[in-house]
Amino acid sequence: MIFEVAIGDKIRTVGIVRKGGTLHVDLDGRTHIVDARRINDSVVSMLVQLDGARAPSRSVDAAFATQQTAGDFDVHLDGLTIPVQIRPAGSFGRQKKDGPAAHAVGPQRIIAPMPGKVVRVLVKSGDDVKARQGLVVVEAMKMENELRAARDGRVRDVAVAEGQSVDAGAVLLVVE
Amino acid sequence: MEKILIANRGEIAVRVIRACRDMGIATAAVYSECDRSALHVRFAGEAWPVGPSAPRESYLRIDAIIDAAKKAGADAVHPGYGFLAENEDFATACRDAGLTFIGPSPEAIALMGSKTAARQAAIKAGVPVVPGTEEPLSDRASDAEVQKVAERVGYPLMLKAVAGGGGKGMRMVASPADLASALRAARSEAQSAFGDGAVYLERRIMSPRHIEVQLLGDHHGTVLPFVERECSIQRRHQKVVEESPSLAVPPELRRRMTSAAASVAKAVGYTNAGTIEFLLDERGSFYFLEMNTRLQVEHPITEMVTGVDLVQWQIRIARGERLDLDPEALLTPKAHAIECRIYAEDPDNGFLPSPGRIQGLRVPQGPGVRDDSGAYEGGEVPIFYDPLISKLITWGDTREHAMQRMRRALAEYQVRGIRTTIPFFQWLLADGDFKAARFDTGFIDRKLGKDPAGGGEKQRAPLQSIDSTHEDLAAIAAAVHLFTKPMTNGVAAPAASPWRDAGRTEALR
Repeated sequence: MIFEVAIGDKIRTVGIVRKGGTLHVDLDGRTHIVDARRINDSVVSMLVQLDGARAPSRSVDAAFATQQTAGDFDVHLDGLTIPVQIRPAGSFGRQKKDGPAAHAVGPQRIIAPMPGKVVRVLVKSGDDVKARQGLVVVEAMKMENELRAARDGRVRDVAVAEGQSVDAGAVLLVVE
Repeated sequence: MEKILIANRGEIAVRVIRACRDMGIATAAVYSECDRSALHVRFAGEAWPVGPSAPRESYLRIDAIIDAAKKAGADAVHPGYGFLAENEDFATACRDAGLTFIGPSPEAIALMGSKTAARQAAIKAGVPVVPGTEEPLSDRASDAEVQKVAERVGYPLMLKAVAGGGGKGMRMVASPADLASALRAARSEAQSAFGDGAVYLERRIMSPRHIEVQLLGDHHGTVLPFVERECSIQRRHQKVVEESPSLAVPPELRRRMTSAAASVAKAVGYTNAGTIEFLLDERGSFYFLEMNTRLQVEHPITEMVTGVDLVQWQIRIARGERLDLDPEALLTPKAHAIECRIYAEDPDNGFLPSPGRIQGLRVPQGPGVRDDSGAYEGGEVPIFYDPLISKLITWGDTREHAMQRMRRALAEYQVRGIRTTIPFFQWLLADGDFKAARFDTGFIDRKLGKDPAGGGEKQRAPLQSIDSTHEDLAAIAAAVHLFTKPMTNGVAAPAASPWRDAGRTEALR
């Protein structure tokens, strides 16, 4: 089976086959022998034979947490938390070109990062705002979080009112 | 005292239940709608609903909690920290209902709860305070009037909520231009956090350390101070790491600070557990900051360096027992202890709260490690409350020993499915200045490159740096996970059977 694995901005191709009691994992052209034992639905113990090692001996206890999108995981190993996107081979490619840079121009949608309550709206439609100027204050988990303009612009749509409860991802206002 | 009602939730409710169990006392928990399955409810002997999830409708409802205590037949109430712990009306309501409030008297809560009255009490006890306004600023004071008072105190200054605590309703003001917006923010935050928007001004002490002294006072006139806690590692004025003892406090200074703390408490006839907070400046002068009239979040580090169970002593004091601890022993640390507050926040995304379901949990164990937690595998971190999920405490013979254990424990700790501040602590414990104990209360905000204009954090590299070998291993692990996951027609099969696996392996030979 062949997967594509995206970590950060790098995509790795991973091929995997079972041979006898072990797995042969081909990672970008190099083969690693893995002795894998499933501990439970979300934990796998691996002994990995990295380059030059005499036997699969590097012990890696890997645990997984699913994210909202199928194929997106947090991989926990060696005290690290590594976000991973894994797809069947050929799934990435086109979509990765639309990086964050694509959002640097055009209207800024100010989005509630978490569920909460709008405590204050500091601007109104038509106001000119400067970069870093406070736009709206959302209270969540007992802290007030001021959401600010990323750059200069003009407030277009104010979609919320003070006192209103908002869900994560709700568009609060738009700055052009 | 036969049954105690715990008027709190989360890790501190679990902590208090444990102290009760250690003493053979029955426990009653209270819970809001979203907390029906919370750990404190599952741990308690009995549990009573007190209302909807919003704190104002449940954990802050004095009538509902007193009612639950009566139904449960409890004879005492432990308030934990936060919620109603420093609410004099609640302490009074307990007294009126014939319930023992495990904490100070309502009078002491009222007196020390007012930051301005507390400053006056400290001055009366001969303890230095930070220069500032002796009276709260009127709610209706105009910006111009406040501006005038601010000129007298001098910039930079701190705006603080009179009813404050935990950094809420607190703002640093660098120059007159920032005063109006800081005033607006501090008043509004104070109003929503404490129901009281009154604020006062204090001169800002440059590069201070935050040092605090734990106290216990009994009902027979004894007040005993404990070895200090170092709480300078703060983010947005909230403590995130504490340790005891402080490397900045030599024995002679410890004597002066602890006896100053005790004299403030004695001057107000304080009973039960409390904490005096000081600022310590670079020249070794200290100033009374405030008194917290409750058990502190960070009480475990004091327990680990002195061997005293503070919660158990709160209960014994409330029962009328005498404090028969050796005062010298309380000032002589037997170890060095560190606490990291594990929050459900994403440190690589501006510390945004990260509520949700904990898919998996692996808690560190072994020598020198304690985890005071309210979390469990499968449990939810609700959006309604403080996102603290656990306090990880390690200790050792020396500071270095305790820190090495903390690094080990953090690497063992897995909280899967939500983001936590664990990577932040791993980053902090690798920092050279932190290792050398070179820090003050502005340390974290400076290190994180916080915008000095008072805004959010600047763009920076992730706190957790992952080398390419670990990325390779994660890619291998993810592929192995999908390849070996037991699936039948896209549906996860029951847990793998080792017998079946053994048979399969044999068949493949």
